[in-house]
Amino acid sequence: MVSMNDGERTARFNRLAVEYSRYYKGKIRTLPSVPINSLKDFSYWYTPGVAEVSMEIKRNPEESFNLTGRWNSVGIVTDGTRVLGIGNVGPEAAMPVMEGKAMLFNLLGGVNAIPLPLRVSDRDHFISVVKALEPSFGGFNLEDIESPKCFYVLKELQEKLTIPAWHDDQLGTACIILAGLINSMRITGRKPQDTTVALVGSGAANIAAAHLLIESGFEPRNIIMVDSKGILDKERDDLDSLMFSNPWKYELALMTNGENRKGTMENAIKGTDIIVSAAKAEPGTIKNEWIGEMNKDAIVFALANPLPEIWPQDALDNGAKIVATGRGDFPNQINNSLVFPGVFRGMLDARSRGVNFRIMVKAAQEIANFVGAPQPDRIVPSMEDWELYPQVASTVARASVDEGLARKPDSREGYLKTAREIISANRTMIEKSMDLGFIRKLPEVRE
Amino acid sequence: MKESSGSVRKAREGDIDQFMSMIFRMKKLNGEFDPLFRTREGDDAPIRDYYLKCINDHEHFITLVAVKKDRIMGLVKAEIRERISYEPSRELRIIDLYIMPEFRRKNVGNMLLSAIYGEMKKLGIKIITAEFPSLNLIALNFYEKIGYRQITSVYGKNIEEDSD
Repeated sequence: MVSMNDGERTARFNRLAVEYSRYYKGKIRTLPSVPINSLKDFSYWYTPGVAEVSMEIKRNPEESFNLTGRWNSVGIVTDGTRVLGIGNVGPEAAMPVMEGKAMLFNLLGGVNAIPLPLRVSDRDHFISVVKALEPSFGGFNLEDIESPKCFYVLKELQEKLTIPAWHDDQLGTACIILAGLINSMRITGRKPQDTTVALVGSGAANIAAAHLLIESGFEPRNIIMVDSKGILDKERDDLDSLMFSNPWKYELALMTNGENRKGTMENAIKGTDIIVSAAKAEPGTIKNEWIGEMNKDAIVFALANPLPEIWPQDALDNGAKIVATGRGDFPNQINNSLVFPGVFRGMLDARSRGVNFRIMVKAAQEIANFVGAPQPDRIVPSMEDWELYPQVASTVARASVDEGLARKPDSREGYLKTAREIISANRTMIEKSMDLGFIRKLPEVRE
Repeated sequence: MKESSGSVRKAREGDIDQFMSMIFRMKKLNGEFDPLFRTREGDDAPIRDYYLKCINDHEHFITLVAVKKDRIMGLVKAEIRERISYEPSRELRIIDLYIMPEFRRKNVGNMLLSAIYGEMKKLGIKIITAEFPSLNLIALNFYEKIGYRQITSVYGKNIEEDSD
């Protein structure tokens, strides 16, 4: 019954999405940010005066962050090879998703995000195109790129660029997973160094999550990775092959699973404190009885969308203390949108040169702390906690200073004020645009 | 890099089961680099016999294992080759070098090579070479990092396949 209602609801949303997209023809647009009262204003916004602005930047390219909108611009880049749950649909078909992401960037973080689906031939072509686009942006958000290509692309871009490169499917998801786990461990009285974790699914999110958990204090030996072939153990036949095809997963195979457990997902889950599953979107992927074999007060993150690997109530009935999913209709939604707007607001405000796992751990701690007194059904904030984004932004910006990555150092209070003002002014502009009808009301759609 | 406690010794007949399991893993990986390295299916006995011969024939082969208690961490098997036209007249060619994944990055490869250099000195052999699939860039980096350089190239084809 649950899945039928869910299916009907999904079908309705799908229909509305197409109808509305046909009506609005795009979810974002660019607007001037300077006053234009008469033609004479063009003398400084455009020719002849603008040439001197160009010369200033030619003399010092870093001035592009001060004299143009670069400081607040983010490119959302994808090759469309792994779009949501629909797979390799190509760059054109990725655009609606990238526009949606740009809208969230703008609404929640006050960021001017530009969707850039790229028609590229291979991973090195992707990297060279993004590198070529660097002068226009203060940061790049990589999106919906297939694994393991996404690891290579992110690593190369982080090395080659002088602005942050972030892959939300890896870093954003890992960050909110860690935030949720921090509060889950507070509730259940656990310490990272003594806690055992089974990471079910070894794609972009969980590989990044493993690294972030280790950075935050989890012992690599206490982490067990599971993929479609079972537990990632050091004697697995495909390990040598992974060394070449997916060195990121190979690294974790060498570092994790201190007991060298072998076999099925069930063996990985037995006697562990935490499961973080980003695997098959099918309830029953994690069997109810396996939860009973976990340690007391088990923590279960079943993050597959649209259907979790185990229904939350089934996990709770079988001994889980805390359950999180990727869905908004259950408590504890593990949602990247709680992360990337604040993280980018902070990186942009600091004019950051990059981002790393230490900054991400601080962002995750800030998100966890924001909840205040966490409860089993409230381990992460809600997307409507508007104050979250400037708080995360100021933490990230300050962490960038501490890491020596900030071009524009400021105090945490200074960054907080800046982020609040930008986000608030932007939201007001959106609200006014709706009030005045410049953003049209939703059309009537026949149900 | 963490050091791995353990020692290197000559391979023995009793090592053969662990030894073969490692050889199969390595040859299977080679098969992923080039179809000319596709591994044989079926009876493993001739392969096992060959490696037993290598272990026992100290005149033509040096076969060492790095061990920790009763576990073989890694192995190296090298052939002593005549160089009829060149000086010096003998070289040692590493054919198989494999470290089990759980013992990687723990200096086991260097332990094995140090031991093999020791054996070479005893035999008066001064030149060592190593062969591996061209696309195995990890092996390439490993050898280059410790001072080896490319001195020959081997090209191959299957003459029953089209070659326009």
